Amino acid sequence: MFNFTKLVVAGALLLSVSTPALAAKDLVVGVPDNLTGLDPHNVNDTLSQSASRLILQGLFGFDKDMKLVPVLAESYEANPDATEFTIRLRKNVKFHDGTPFNAQAVKINFERLANPENRLSRASLVNMVSQFTVVDDSTVKLTLKEPFGAMINNLAHPGAMIHSPAAIEKYGKEVNRNPVGTGPYKFVSWQADTLKVAKNENYWKQGLPKVDSVTLRSVPENGSRLAMLQAGEAQFIYPLPPEMMSVAEKSPKLDIISKPSIVTWYVAMNNMKKPFNDLRVRQALNYAVDKRAYAKIVYNGNMDPMDSVVPPGLPFYVKQGEWPYDVAKAKELLKEAGYPDGFETEIFAGNSTTSIRAMQFLQQQLAQVNVKLKVTPLEAGVAAQKIWSVSKPEDTTVQLYYGGWSASTGDTDWQLRPLLFGESFPPKMFNVAYFSNPEADAGIKAGIATADNEKRAEAYKKAQEAAWKNAPWIYLGVERLLAAKSKSLSGAYYLPDRGILLEEADLN
Amino acid sequence: MTSVVLSSTSKPAAERIRTPWSEFWRKFRRQRLAVASGVFLLLLVVVALLAPWIAPYDPATPDYEHILEGPSWLHWAGTDDYGRDILSRIIHGAGISLMVGFLAVTVGGIVGIVMGLLSGFYEGWIDRIIMRICDVLLAFPGILLAIGIVAILGPGVENVIWAVAVFSIPVFARLVRGSTLALKRAVYVDAARAIGVRNIILMVRHILPGALPSVIVYFSMRFGTSILTAASLSFIGLGAQPPTPEWGAMLSAGRSFIGVADHLTFFPGLAIFVTVLAFNLLGDGLRDALDPKLSQV
Amino acid sequence: MFRYLINRLLGILPVLLLVSVLVFAFVHLLPGDPARLVAGQDATDRDIAAVRAALGLDRPLWEQYVTYVSNILHGDFGISLKTRRAVSEEIGERFFPTFWLTLISMAWATLFGLVIGVSSAVRRGRWQDHGGMLVAVSGISLPSFWLGLLLIDWFSVRLGWFPTSGYGTLAHFVLPSITLGVGVAAVMARFTRSSFIEIAREDYIRTARAKGAFERFVVWKHVLRNALIPIITMVGLQFGFLLGGSIVVETVFAWPGLGRLLVDSVSYRDYPVIQAEILLFSLEFILINLIVDVLYALVNPEIRYR
Repeated sequence: MFNFTKLVVAGALLLSVSTPALAAKDLVVGVPDNLTGLDPHNVNDTLSQSASRLILQGLFGFDKDMKLVPVLAESYEANPDATEFTIRLRKNVKFHDGTPFNAQAVKINFERLANPENRLSRASLVNMVSQFTVVDDSTVKLTLKEPFGAMINNLAHPGAMIHSPAAIEKYGKEVNRNPVGTGPYKFVSWQADTLKVAKNENYWKQGLPKVDSVTLRSVPENGSRLAMLQAGEAQFIYPLPPEMMSVAEKSPKLDIISKPSIVTWYVAMNNMKKPFNDLRVRQALNYAVDKRAYAKIVYNGNMDPMDSVVPPGLPFYVKQGEWPYDVAKAKELLKEAGYPDGFETEIFAGNSTTSIRAMQFLQQQLAQVNVKLKVTPLEAGVAAQKIWSVSKPEDTTVQLYYGGWSASTGDTDWQLRPLLFGESFPPKMFNVAYFSNPEADAGIKAGIATADNEKRAEAYKKAQEAAWKNAPWIYLGVERLLAAKSKSLSGAYYLPDRGILLEEADLN
Repeated sequence: MTSVVLSSTSKPAAERIRTPWSEFWRKFRRQRLAVASGVFLLLLVVVALLAPWIAPYDPATPDYEHILEGPSWLHWAGTDDYGRDILSRIIHGAGISLMVGFLAVTVGGIVGIVMGLLSGFYEGWIDRIIMRICDVLLAFPGILLAIGIVAILGPGVENVIWAVAVFSIPVFARLVRGSTLALKRAVYVDAARAIGVRNIILMVRHILPGALPSVIVYFSMRFGTSILTAASLSFIGLGAQPPTPEWGAMLSAGRSFIGVADHLTFFPGLAIFVTVLAFNLLGDGLRDALDPKLSQV
Repeated sequence: MFRYLINRLLGILPVLLLVSVLVFAFVHLLPGDPARLVAGQDATDRDIAAVRAALGLDRPLWEQYVTYVSNILHGDFGISLKTRRAVSEEIGERFFPTFWLTLISMAWATLFGLVIGVSSAVRRGRWQDHGGMLVAVSGISLPSFWLGLLLIDWFSVRLGWFPTSGYGTLAHFVLPSITLGVGVAAVMARFTRSSFIEIAREDYIRTARAKGAFERFVVWKHVLRNALIPIITMVGLQFGFLLGGSIVVETVFAWPGLGRLLVDSVSYRDYPVIQAEILLFSLEFILINLIVDVLYALVNPEIRYR
């Protein structure tokens, strides 16, 4: 018996040695989930978007600090009403299949995306455009049905990246599995849980990319993902759960990437339901939660305080001040509101380990002011039904909801409008606080009606002030994102919206 | 294959006057591992009942100044990520984990026994339908059932119990069906039938007791499996509702701290391991002590 | 025998039809709208409506079922809602990783279980028996995700002997197949032990043991033969379970198999994938049961089928 075991072990060892050792520069990245597709026009998760960003590019994009930068565009002009955008394109860029990148290619892509018959899930990024005009080979003009100030941000969203028109022609819907773009890497294969891409030798940026290939492997279990990095099977993994930081810190071969993000965490209180329809109760709960302890216990310190409903990483952010931790004040407010002995309520959230940990923490904190919290983690489908699909505000069972949000367009509009706008109650959008405030609504509306940054700043300032003081949420914090990498890897960036950027990656 | 001889002819006269109970006890006593396991489990029940008095700390009270501390004189099993005393949580969790196991197997067992009795007794189309249901239940991944049950009923220990119970039904049904098929041809059952005993009485009074030994054996083993299943449910995020100190939930929540604070997984893991082991050893002992011929699954 | 097989094979169809109805009803009973889940976290209601229409989820249920079944009869299992890829491709890609893992785990676990079981039965009541059973039973007493994570921590991270996770070389199989196999080995060991003990008690065996060595050899062949029947049943049952893919092991070891596909498709309410997977599992179960029955006849010529 033991000989048999030895034999298997020996054979296994032999095989593991005989697999080719890491060739010069093959980068392996451990990611948390399986990809859902490689057609950015039709995928919705940040991971698949990051993956397609290896291969495809948009007219605009975000740099490693989430600053909007031109990519395949060189510059743009907008009219003051934000109804016409003229974009000049980069010249001499070719897709991986040799097709030239030009205004016609842009038109084909955007018309594909906007066409309702194609039923692409990212259509809303460009469906406010009534006409895409090819002005000349390297200029394209977008004419909008109505003013939309965040148009360029929408174009910078990964969902508006550009396929090779020849690939769209050839593969149709199957570009999802055969992406051809202008990006630093060419598609090689995608099987079950592994995506392989190889260096694009003719990349339009000089000297890039530096690695020969990139492999994304999905490893759902946090511990296994970190183990993969520790064992040298991967050079970059994300996300790194905060509680595992110290394991990575101990290793001399590893670096931790800790990055301020635009991911805000909060508890939405149902502003239309008792007792949360009383401003004093909402304020009291904000006083009752120690946000620093939250950062320490739930995120191992990787959480910055939240001082506005908009995170500092987004444009037009205006600091409103931090909500202090003051249990006595909280009790006083509850007493004034008619709840001297507290009350019982229920909190919903997803069922990840971190969400469950956060809810338990909140349960402990609110117990100090006699608010008895029932903790209910919801499986994704159940959450979709119980929280997001409820058609009338009065039918919802949501009292408190713990969640996080990152504005994937990198614009303040996508922080405020989906979450705090009076017309964005579920199922339309995600205002699960059922917060409706005329001042905030006016600001959010004004902000999107213009492309003039000064006017937008003014509008969003008002909206932020109005929302903050009404305390629709318990403001918990802005997450610092964690990833871990091998010291030999440079130029790999973790973006504030949980995406990754590997264009400049290099292995030494 | 299914012929069963109920009495052994080679026993000396002195043994024959023993009651089945004393006979069982005599055989069981010889299984030292099983006896030790039984004693351990009894102690565990006592601990679970006395939890509020013997646990050194409150299982839910956090202490943010002392999080993730290793074992010490103050906290024998260390503290968790909220600074709660792990030993106290394990003590309080004993009752919950035992309850999950007990109720889940009891519910699953009862449903399975009824199905198995009907199936084996009536045979024919009833048998075919019930066995097909069992096939479907067996082929239906338990996880999917569990997700369905937890999704429809909501999360929480009670619903975890329902989910785990469903896992047990088909095996109990098959087990009891097998015994029923064998026993209903036994002479004493024929005799009872001949004097006009009603079917239901036949099943409950005459057949069920004969099937019971194997049910008891399987029950004790399944008990352990249920505790493990509950842990797996926690692993995929469908376990007991926090802050319930159910062992599986503790182990699952602690797994992020492997390599950082191993005691978060070690102690709940050990508790699960020892308890499940004890149930299994007890089951083995019972199997050996009860007539082995009735214990075929 | 031949007619029996044909009958059994024909009997599969109604069962599968029943399963298809059940699983269809079941997935639609699950709360959660696939369109919303597939459309992503920040999709607006308009995006969701577009997805719903694209996926054909806006049509009446009975119509969806009829389309579904008639498509299956044409060999088309539909398109995954999540990846928009043919379900047959999704499943095909993940079948073999699960299949090989199952096969390897079953192989070592059965062998190991048989050896421990027989040696315990032969030395019944002695320390070899107790020791063997203690080892075996320990195997089913550990939560498998914990065992898996511990194995990775020791053998991959600390010792560097095996890859941490993933599917590829034979080395990748070692840790997952240990994690998956310990439970099976334990079940096999206990089962083997008890069925050996039971049969060894039969009178004809006792008589034979009292006689000479040659006859004893013949009898042991008998024992083995009879003991094999429940063991084959158990192997079949366990094999059927494992072929469904272990969700826990496949998650811990990032194994691209059917178990992980099932969790993923459940969390996206990817109806076509869930349905096709369950149909596949049921088919596997039925076929394994059939193979087991045939093996009975081969092992013990006294069992015949009509």
